[in-house]
Amino acid sequence: MSIMELNGGSCIAMVGKGCVAIACDLRLGNQALTVACNFEKVFPATERTYYGLPGLASDTVTVRDKLRHRINLYAMKEERTIEPETFCHLVSSTLYERRFGPYFVEPVVAGLNSKDEPFIAATDLIGCINFAKDFVVSGTASEKLFGMAESLWEPDLEADDLFETISQTLLNAVDRDAYSGWGAVVWIIEKDKVTKRWLKARMD
Amino acid sequence: MGPIQHQFNPYADNGGSILAISSSKFAVIAGDTRQSSGYNIETRTAKRVFQLTPEAAIAVQGFMGDAMNLVKRLKQRLEWYHHTHNEVPSLKSIARLVQTMLYGKRFFPYYSYVILAGIDRDGTGAVYSFDPVGSYERESCRAYGSAQSLVQPFLDNMVYKKNQVPDPSLPPPVPGQRPEFDLAEVQSLLTDAFTGAAERHIEVGDGLDVLVVEKDMEMRWVHLPLKRD
Repeated sequence: MSIMELNGGSCIAMVGKGCVAIACDLRLGNQALTVACNFEKVFPATERTYYGLPGLASDTVTVRDKLRHRINLYAMKEERTIEPETFCHLVSSTLYERRFGPYFVEPVVAGLNSKDEPFIAATDLIGCINFAKDFVVSGTASEKLFGMAESLWEPDLEADDLFETISQTLLNAVDRDAYSGWGAVVWIIEKDKVTKRWLKARMD
Repeated sequence: MGPIQHQFNPYADNGGSILAISSSKFAVIAGDTRQSSGYNIETRTAKRVFQLTPEAAIAVQGFMGDAMNLVKRLKQRLEWYHHTHNEVPSLKSIARLVQTMLYGKRFFPYYSYVILAGIDRDGTGAVYSFDPVGSYERESCRAYGSAQSLVQPFLDNMVYKKNQVPDPSLPPPVPGQRPEFDLAEVQSLLTDAFTGAAERHIEVGDGLDVLVVEKDMEMRWVHLPLKRD
């Protein structure tokens, strides 16, 4: 049994034209037993930067709280909100701090920077960053998400089309994964608007 | 130090992926041509897809030693069938034969995943998929192999239209009806599935062998290149 698969759950982020999307499923399980269907894994870092933390649920909560603390200290010291690029390095160093006793989460970051450019990235559980120009995936359904996203994603999607693409990618991937699913949430981050949508998904 | 111990492992995994899709008038069955052992490429031109009869084809994946032997003995059994009954067995009969051959080695299995595809005697395209010990099922599409987890959800979405809401202006789909496709559409799904898999899986690549089985037509091969990296 892998500790990364104890609670289940998956995340994905995609780049569009002047927008980004980030989505996660809602399952919290204890191995094969589903415990909750309202466990969101995506959290706001700033108004236009969001991050997902699939993996061991207790570490999801711990790392979220730790990052919130560091984001707040950054905002007070610097008197501005953190850029997604900077935040991604903060996530990375926060995880590498625990190099030999890691948090079992694989974060996904998505946001628009101050120049309104889309940014996405993912890291492994000890903070190795993957800056991708297209999409990043994470969690127990990551292989399935790769297969879906590799076929469905195309460059320069408008916000509405990006929403459809990321939703289909997530739903069909989690339907083939026993540890993910039980509902899904999608965030679309645009220049002057952030939309959160709950998807109707298979509950089995 | 303990005594030096040796153990012979009769199995290996040679990677690769196979895929079959059927519609009401045809079936396509495909496999990539890369055969690997760990990080090593053994050949870029391996054959995984074989024609069995004028209307049936098979694709195999897993341990190629077992898989090749299975195909060889299956072809032999089909020849014997022809000699004793003076006719070519139907796809359905071949499927049952494959089951007994696989289950015959229940306690030392052929480590191979098998897909049969072709035209059934009722004239419709069909796909049969098997597990290594012979459990089988007729389906419309199936992916097996190292990239099956990348490809199968894509097929669910594009072939079975899973998670897609049908256009309300169209008549509702009849439950249990076989999906209707055109051949060109299915072939492009197939290439999309394999180029995607070749992009993200190290054991998939080099080339793609496709066998197209159409109703009342001779079977034909299509060969396409895939990434070699």
